[in-house]
Amino acid sequence: MGYEPLVQQNPLRVLDMNRENNQMGLVMARAGLGKTALLVQIALDAILRGKRVIHVSIGESIEKTKTWYDDILQLILQDHSVSRPHELIDMVARHRMIMTFKVAAFTRSRLEERLNDLVLQDIFRPNCLIVDGFDFVNTDREALDDIKNLMESMNMQAWFSAICHRDDARVSPAGVPAPCHEIDDLFDMIILLKPEPDATIQLDIIRNYGEQVKGGKSLHLDPTTMMVKEM
Amino acid sequence: MKKDLKKVRNIGISAHIDSGKTTLTERILFYTQRIHAIHEVRGKDGVGATMDSMELEKERGITIQSAATYCSWKDYDVNIIDTPGHVDFTIEVERALRVLDGAVLILCSVGGVQSQSITVNRQMTRYKVPRIAFINKCDRTGANPFRVTQQLRDKLDLNAIMIQLPIGLESDLEGMVDLISMKAVYFDGDQGEDIRHEEIPANMREEAEAKREELLDAVSMFSDELMEAMLEESEIPEAMIHEAIRRGTLSLELTPVMIGSAYKNKGVQLLLDAVNTYLPCPTDVENTALDLDKDEAEVVVSNNPDDQLVALAFKLEDGRYGQLTYIRTYQGVIQKGDTIINSRTGKKAKVGRLVRMHANEMEEIDGAGSGDIVALFGIDCASGDTFCSPGINWSMSSMHVPAPVISLAIKPVDNKAQINMSKALNRFTKEDPTFKTFVDHETSETIISGMGELHLEVYIERMKREYKAEVEVGAPQVAYRETITQRADFDYTHKKQTGGSGQYGRVGGYLEPFEDGEYEFVDQIVGGVIPREFISSCDKGFQKSLEKGILTGAQITGVRVAINDGSYHAVDSSDIAFQLASIGAFKQGYAKAAPVIMEPIMKVAVEGPSEFQGAVMGSLNQRRGVIIGTFEEGNYTVVEAEMPLAEMFGYSTTLRSLTQGKAEFTMEFATYKQVPKGVAEELIKAFAAQKKDA
Repeated sequence: MGYEPLVQQNPLRVLDMNRENNQMGLVMARAGLGKTALLVQIALDAILRGKRVIHVSIGESIEKTKTWYDDILQLILQDHSVSRPHELIDMVARHRMIMTFKVAAFTRSRLEERLNDLVLQDIFRPNCLIVDGFDFVNTDREALDDIKNLMESMNMQAWFSAICHRDDARVSPAGVPAPCHEIDDLFDMIILLKPEPDATIQLDIIRNYGEQVKGGKSLHLDPTTMMVKEM
Repeated sequence: MKKDLKKVRNIGISAHIDSGKTTLTERILFYTQRIHAIHEVRGKDGVGATMDSMELEKERGITIQSAATYCSWKDYDVNIIDTPGHVDFTIEVERALRVLDGAVLILCSVGGVQSQSITVNRQMTRYKVPRIAFINKCDRTGANPFRVTQQLRDKLDLNAIMIQLPIGLESDLEGMVDLISMKAVYFDGDQGEDIRHEEIPANMREEAEAKREELLDAVSMFSDELMEAMLEESEIPEAMIHEAIRRGTLSLELTPVMIGSAYKNKGVQLLLDAVNTYLPCPTDVENTALDLDKDEAEVVVSNNPDDQLVALAFKLEDGRYGQLTYIRTYQGVIQKGDTIINSRTGKKAKVGRLVRMHANEMEEIDGAGSGDIVALFGIDCASGDTFCSPGINWSMSSMHVPAPVISLAIKPVDNKAQINMSKALNRFTKEDPTFKTFVDHETSETIISGMGELHLEVYIERMKREYKAEVEVGAPQVAYRETITQRADFDYTHKKQTGGSGQYGRVGGYLEPFEDGEYEFVDQIVGGVIPREFISSCDKGFQKSLEKGILTGAQITGVRVAINDGSYHAVDSSDIAFQLASIGAFKQGYAKAAPVIMEPIMKVAVEGPSEFQGAVMGSLNQRRGVIIGTFEEGNYTVVEAEMPLAEMFGYSTTLRSLTQGKAEFTMEFATYKQVPKGVAEELIKAFAAQKKDA
């Protein structure tokens, strides 16, 4: 496809993402720190590696979600010279599908039904699922386990975002804050976004492909563009 | 004639087809005593509603063209622009929105926010039109104004807040509770003309109190006094609430929601009150024009009747007495006998008859002040032209006009039809900037093009009915385009010597893709190798070449042509010689520049029950679509996709049979994209075969 340089130069290569499919990732942060921006960059990286991505947005509109992709893709195109930008934009559109749900409408069975619709009719065969806005507070372990099984049976990678709150001090032994402190073992990758005094946002990689990471803090989000940069 | 502009309302009534817009307008005209009997849209009396003045509209029960009409309610002058509800006519809607100050968005209490409402809402947002929502048909089975209000928030992203509550619903709809005055309102009399205020029914008291709290919370954002009064828990005067709602509405940050049933004569007068109270007057809205004498600098129109006239012709109609031009004045006054200038053409015109329109009837007037909507007779102009007093040369900012995406060949059946057809086409192209027509020189066919199948169908119908022009219609054709994808050089000599004076010209240079526009000509000739006087001949030759591409005969766009070399002959070089040399040069370069075919891509939204989502996506996928995304809420789902127009013919039939008629779709032009290889090959083959036959 000719986008290898974009893939190789991506700071996200620090994460061990292309080892195999069925793993689950989690991005956690307080509200407004850039979870969606990071998820979209993870999704775009997967697309550039030839994967197909379904982006589930819970409580957001299709238009808004699409704008995220358009904006971040524009930033990537500004930073890297790509010979035919229109082809890249087209390719991204063909490898991505957005599914938005009202908060109450998202369930595992609904998701499975939708994925089957796509796969059985050969409309879209996703390799990666992004779930933004998942309600971890009102979800029990069982439900999430259920989704993990679904991902495994469909041979897909999944990335979730979760909001944590400043005044909730609960935290798992691995350092994962509430509301995910009791289910953190379900995830193979965990990234925590932390604001720094210099206004950048640090990516604290707590777990990378199942391995506990210490000092995995070499990445941050540029506060103006929300793009992942290496320190 | 100077009137209080604070008491003028120019409003539009905009909505999804079949949500009862025409019925509502009819009731408004009845209550404002412009008409004395009510006719239903599909009434048995065969008269039809007053606003639908065209025969065809009466027959189909839909409103195609927006007619402007005037009425007065409680001392306020209200001009109503009835706008069409189908997406194929959006230019009409957009033109109407341009001259409106405010709008009533009508929704069906059963159907709720449908895709067309989303389009209309987006247009209103683009033109910054403050709006009131009116949830109609509350007497219908399945009516749920609360759900519709929630949809206004979720799907249209409006800060919608109910200012009324229904008393009973469906067939039990009796009236409504006004949450501002906290009174129950009933509509008595055969036609609901007697309004009766009562205490709120005891069983609704609690609900009304709670809803009023919600309302006050929402509107207190827009009024510090109201916020204070609420904090002090003192008595809140009604006027204070009205003022806060008005401020919120004007800032587009609040949409008051009203309910009723126009058909059952409930709630219409209250809606009129709200139009007076909440919607803006001409001076509340800032409109800008472009000063053509100052390099199109933006200027704000003053609304001051003492200033020079600036008026926009937003709609033309061909009536019994000649061309009728609807205008909206933005400043100054227009009077019988005045001289006005069309700023597009620079032509002077004298104002003859001036009328106020009420659908088919008209009222002769002597003049109109700024902010008014009136109609002129006998003025030659096109839709969208600006008229000014002598002395200024302003143009109301150009309206966004999309390019046509579909075309049809039409052939008159006989000579008489031929004459009538040209009259009709002449009229339609003046009325509607998205409707275009031209004669294909190769096939001598008349081609009409527009925004969709229905758009063109309606004009063909109108030709038959209004102009008695019977035409044979060809199959619809997608407006393909061609463009180049790489730079290519050319060097071409045109030489002809067959007795008499010869022709000679050589043109050298290159073609390259030009993404920012359709065509650019760059002159890099040095040393006079092509004499100055023939440079424009080259330009002309290249422009001629753009008319038909070699792949499919479609128009070529997105090309920059540069000439940097050439030669001439002192005797044999001429304008025509260099034109022909350029045509040859273009052909030579074009073939090497990797030309491709582009096709119109439409943004399509299909909505319906969730159970059909899989089937809908399958049908879109089969038609070469790219599915952008889906939205789900309960059992309702929307699929958004980008579809090639060429694959959308007959889609409504497919969709109907796939979903038992429960899903519907809207479509609007999005962009041009390159046709995939396989399809391109077929198009090229078909074009070659067609050329062979000809």
